[in-house]
Amino acid sequence: MIPAGFEYFAPSSLKEAVELLSNYKDDVKILAGGQSLVPLMKLRLAKPRYVVDLSRIGDLNYIRGAGGALHIGALATHSEIENSEAIRRDCPLLAQTAATIADVQVRNRGTLGGSLAHADPAGDMPAAILAVDAELKASGPSGERWIKAEDFFVGFLTSALEADEILTEIKVPIKSGGKSVYLKAAQRASGFAVVGVAVRLTVANGNCNDIAIGITGVTDKAYRAKNVEQALKGKKLEAELIERAALRVVDGVDLLEDINGSKDYRAHLARVYTARAIKAALAT
Amino acid sequence: MTINGRRYEEDVEPRQLLPHFLREQIGLTGTHVGCVIGECGACTVLLDGKLVKSCLFFAVQADGKEIVTIEGLAKNGALHPVQEAFVEKYGFQCGYCTPGMVMAAHALLQEKPNPSEEDIRRSLAGNLCMCTGYAQIIESVKEAAKKLKAQRND
Amino acid sequence: MTENYIGKATRSKEGPRHATGRGHFTDDIILPGMLQAMILRSPHAHARIVGADASAALELPDVITAVVPSDVVAYTRPFKPGRYAAGLRKAIPEYATAVDKVRYMGEPVAAVAARDRGTAEDALELISIDYDALPAVTDTADAIKPGSALLYDELESNLAWKGSLTYGDIDGAFKSADKVVKENLKIHRYSSTPLEPFAIIADYDAASRKLTVWVNAQVPEVIYDALREALDLEDIRVIIPDIGGGFGQKIHLIRKYVVIVSLLAIRSGRPVKWIEDRSEHMMAAGHSCAQEFAVEAAVKKDGTVLGLKFREIDDVGGSTSTLTIHFTNKLNNLVNTYTVQNIALEGWSVLTNKCPVIPNRGIGKPGMCYIWERTMDRIAEELGLSPIEVRRINLIQPEQMPYTTPSGNVYDSGDYPGLLQTALEKIGYDKLREEQKRARESGRLLGIGVVIGVEPGGRNAARDMAIFPEMKESPGAGGVNGATIKLEKNGTIALFLGSPNCGQSHETTTSQVAADVLGIPPEKISISIPFDSDLAPWGVSAANSGNNFHLYDIGAVHGAAMKLKEKILAVAAHVLRADAAQLKIEDGAVHAPGSPVKKVTLAELGKIVYGNQAMLPKGMEAGLQATYYYTFPHAEPNMVPGPDRKVRAQFTFSAATHAAVVEVDKETGKVHVLRYLIVGDNGTVIHPSVVNGQIYGSAAHGISVALGEGFVYNSEGQLLTLTLTDYGKSSAEETPKVEIIHRPSPSPFTTLGQKAAGEGAAIPSPAAIAGAVEDALKPLGVRVRDLPLSPERVWNLIEEARR
Repeated sequence: MIPAGFEYFAPSSLKEAVELLSNYKDDVKILAGGQSLVPLMKLRLAKPRYVVDLSRIGDLNYIRGAGGALHIGALATHSEIENSEAIRRDCPLLAQTAATIADVQVRNRGTLGGSLAHADPAGDMPAAILAVDAELKASGPSGERWIKAEDFFVGFLTSALEADEILTEIKVPIKSGGKSVYLKAAQRASGFAVVGVAVRLTVANGNCNDIAIGITGVTDKAYRAKNVEQALKGKKLEAELIERAALRVVDGVDLLEDINGSKDYRAHLARVYTARAIKAALAT
Repeated sequence: MTINGRRYEEDVEPRQLLPHFLREQIGLTGTHVGCVIGECGACTVLLDGKLVKSCLFFAVQADGKEIVTIEGLAKNGALHPVQEAFVEKYGFQCGYCTPGMVMAAHALLQEKPNPSEEDIRRSLAGNLCMCTGYAQIIESVKEAAKKLKAQRND
Repeated sequence: MTENYIGKATRSKEGPRHATGRGHFTDDIILPGMLQAMILRSPHAHARIVGADASAALELPDVITAVVPSDVVAYTRPFKPGRYAAGLRKAIPEYATAVDKVRYMGEPVAAVAARDRGTAEDALELISIDYDALPAVTDTADAIKPGSALLYDELESNLAWKGSLTYGDIDGAFKSADKVVKENLKIHRYSSTPLEPFAIIADYDAASRKLTVWVNAQVPEVIYDALREALDLEDIRVIIPDIGGGFGQKIHLIRKYVVIVSLLAIRSGRPVKWIEDRSEHMMAAGHSCAQEFAVEAAVKKDGTVLGLKFREIDDVGGSTSTLTIHFTNKLNNLVNTYTVQNIALEGWSVLTNKCPVIPNRGIGKPGMCYIWERTMDRIAEELGLSPIEVRRINLIQPEQMPYTTPSGNVYDSGDYPGLLQTALEKIGYDKLREEQKRARESGRLLGIGVVIGVEPGGRNAARDMAIFPEMKESPGAGGVNGATIKLEKNGTIALFLGSPNCGQSHETTTSQVAADVLGIPPEKISISIPFDSDLAPWGVSAANSGNNFHLYDIGAVHGAAMKLKEKILAVAAHVLRADAAQLKIEDGAVHAPGSPVKKVTLAELGKIVYGNQAMLPKGMEAGLQATYYYTFPHAEPNMVPGPDRKVRAQFTFSAATHAAVVEVDKETGKVHVLRYLIVGDNGTVIHPSVVNGQIYGSAAHGISVALGEGFVYNSEGQLLTLTLTDYGKSSAEETPKVEIIHRPSPSPFTTLGQKAAGEGAAIPSPAAIAGAVEDALKPLGVRVRDLPLSPERVWNLIEEARR
């Protein structure tokens, strides 16, 4: 229940925060919303000697439109994203996905940046981020760099961030005419995705113009279902084609197996939910 | 920090969790602890006006913040309409989840004065109850909505 | 007795404190100098303990004391097997902690007390226990194979007990059957997971050798006896504050922790508090028993059940102390609501390296109802009859009440055909069948399940003698509990209950009863809390459970109130110079008939009896206080079983029909509950909101159990469901709406006609969901035998049937 002892820092600038990360390397953890880190610390599965609270750094929580993109500060909470007029208008998939996370208390504190950096293999936002072609800004001692969403999720609880980098912004291109949906088979109590499918597509002249599918819950990290996308791009999205394409969603993927689902069941659910999500997106 | 409208200045160890701070250092024992990883909601309070699980906070993070606990709802012994509704409609049995549940209902009704049953169930999804099967809790929230509406109309 | 308050939804006495965060729970209590304890638990499911050293922990500043197994052996005595372990071949005493072996992940091994909780947790990491891991036994079939690792060498087998009994002529029944219907069923491990885990404070006054414990235990006697036995103390005070949920979880294993915490208090000379973590509770507080049933029913072709046989294998976990409770409790609802005269039951108790089992809500009765209701559906299927008609033809009829069952239970009242008929009408059964037909045509899987179950109430430990006639010590027959009621000097009433509470509105309900007897409003009655064993008039039935409270506490409060009323009238008669038989208590005063002037207020009477000797009737005891200990007056015949093994397992019999309507998502296996209706008979309902609350809560739990919540172990005995979310506890979003209709048949034997309302809907609901899901999947040829019906398991059933 009570974490191992640690020293607490609440820097007021990003520079200070990055310095602390560089100084303390493997012994330090970033505290954003705390909805993922604090449980790990209370279970003593994580025992950082230093904790860096980002919440006193100004201007890490914003949602702004500029240059044809939505710029979301890493500390924007799931609640803020769910309720943001700008996001609902310009990238509804993010708002709809955020609304399915856990419960209102978790959404009020959990941050987009925190949940992406944590890279939980069953997290909802990773799937959505993949489906909207987002770019993620990492700030480190040598400056800033942009990481594409599809390069961001590297492995189990592992993102592409270096140990001394902080995720500071998520940039989402504003594309018009998109149809999108996030569907998940939720674990009955936590709401975590046993399988989660985020779809964003555009249709032109009855054919699928563009489609991006983000999958979560199925393997050690969220991923783009490129097999399925390729089978559908440029084609007429009829039910039979969708279902056939969806069968390929876990091809070549190392499936998770746990108390929430065996490999076989997960594979089956992934196919079912992929087909359902595409059809549901079409209907929006 | 401000707790239920009163200012406090306290020393805390970094690893001291907010509910233990409230219960043991401030003496407000209405906020309860029912789990470890923040899954039960018994510790729910309002922090800067937002509903949160206090057990996922270190007390030190609450520096400069405004906290409202269950003890902050009643005024001079008079029950808040949400509390009164829970009493009347028996939205409780053992009482352990009740403070968190009342806070969640209160926060919901501040945002949505006329919630549907679906709204209510969704907004209470973070507060587990092992006794009631939620039925009379939902009735209590509906009754609270009525009472608050009547209060506004007065 | 004028019924002014009984049956009404009077204002809650408990509500205001709970709604304002002023509930009085154990962790809210702080004593001067109090230490915080933590328990070190076994990471292994099965291992020998070969060494234990707490010296590094004791070196931490602010760590005051620690105990390891050798301390527990040196300073405490083990519990001798109690009645829950009757039938053990060899008496196996059990210490509060593991001593030479650990037999389940999470078993307590050591403990430490420090000035604050964080330090105590740090100290735990410094206690070193050396284990020699042993193979873990997790499957009951494997556990009883020769060569399997043994949990207790002295028992020579993990099959710790086997026994059987028969009522009627079972062979004759099977010989004259038109058909024998067989079925194999399984129920999994689950628990009601009370939101407040175990909480204990122990304070030992060495000078007077008095131990005081505050503990959220449901049965004070268990704690009292455990402390006396383990610590050889005589002066023990058990205080039970508000309990955040009991459900049978806080009856038995909690006694181990009371002893451990008390030992820490005694050794340190300081009060010690221990608050259990959620993960500890999931590992080690106790589970409901996983049971396997092999059932055979001898039936006539019209569906009449001539005889029922079943063999039950209970996975009792890593302790012998609750070996047979899930089997013995089958005697309580053995024939359910049916007229069968011939019944044979056999029980096997198998030890495994899992958490020990405890009497969770229903204790074995949900299993018995599951046996009956799944079998009735199977009988209907194999005979080509409607599942409703098969039930109808076997129901005990209302004219037969009071009805003696073959095992000796006496059902006091009940209209089972009426409950069934009302359920069918209110759920719109015939229309639903038509809707189901149309749904099937469009490929939708709609299902309807209708079940019926009795909910027994009351307590009789002598029941166990029917199964263990060799018991040397009678376990104490029937039940006893008391209440004290006092008129205060200012005319209000103080009521002292004999039982602790865990959320069943005892204060509200008993004040209604006393109010009606005394003719004063419930607001003028105050209930003294918490339960304090030094002061409360308690007996063996002091237990906050629906089984006991409805009978013993209500009876005791009523009895005490009647005694007090008699005395009030006697004193008032003297003061008013009137005939006591003519007097009436109304509006806080005793009135003489027809005379608006001739009255005396209760406050005035109070002043007299406590302070004015001259005005007392000559020879009358002063004061106005009455204590009454209630025993059920209709406990005979068969309170203690004779050689025919017939016994009153329990004394009152509520009942209910449940109708569930579900839709199954064929592709995902997810079950949606579209409607759930309960038609209940709880006898006279004292407070409708309280009774409804129990029904809603127990139904929600049983439905959640059927649909997926439950404990999961891997093959190494590691518990994988350590959190409420992994375990699958339902939130408000996952819990379906439940409709309740009351159709009471008051008991002719209880004080007010009231019957139990507590275990209630937890008993039939798993069967209702199982029946509805099977009905939904009938077109696919699926049979539902095992719980839980999680989406994956339903999908597997569908896939298997396809192949």
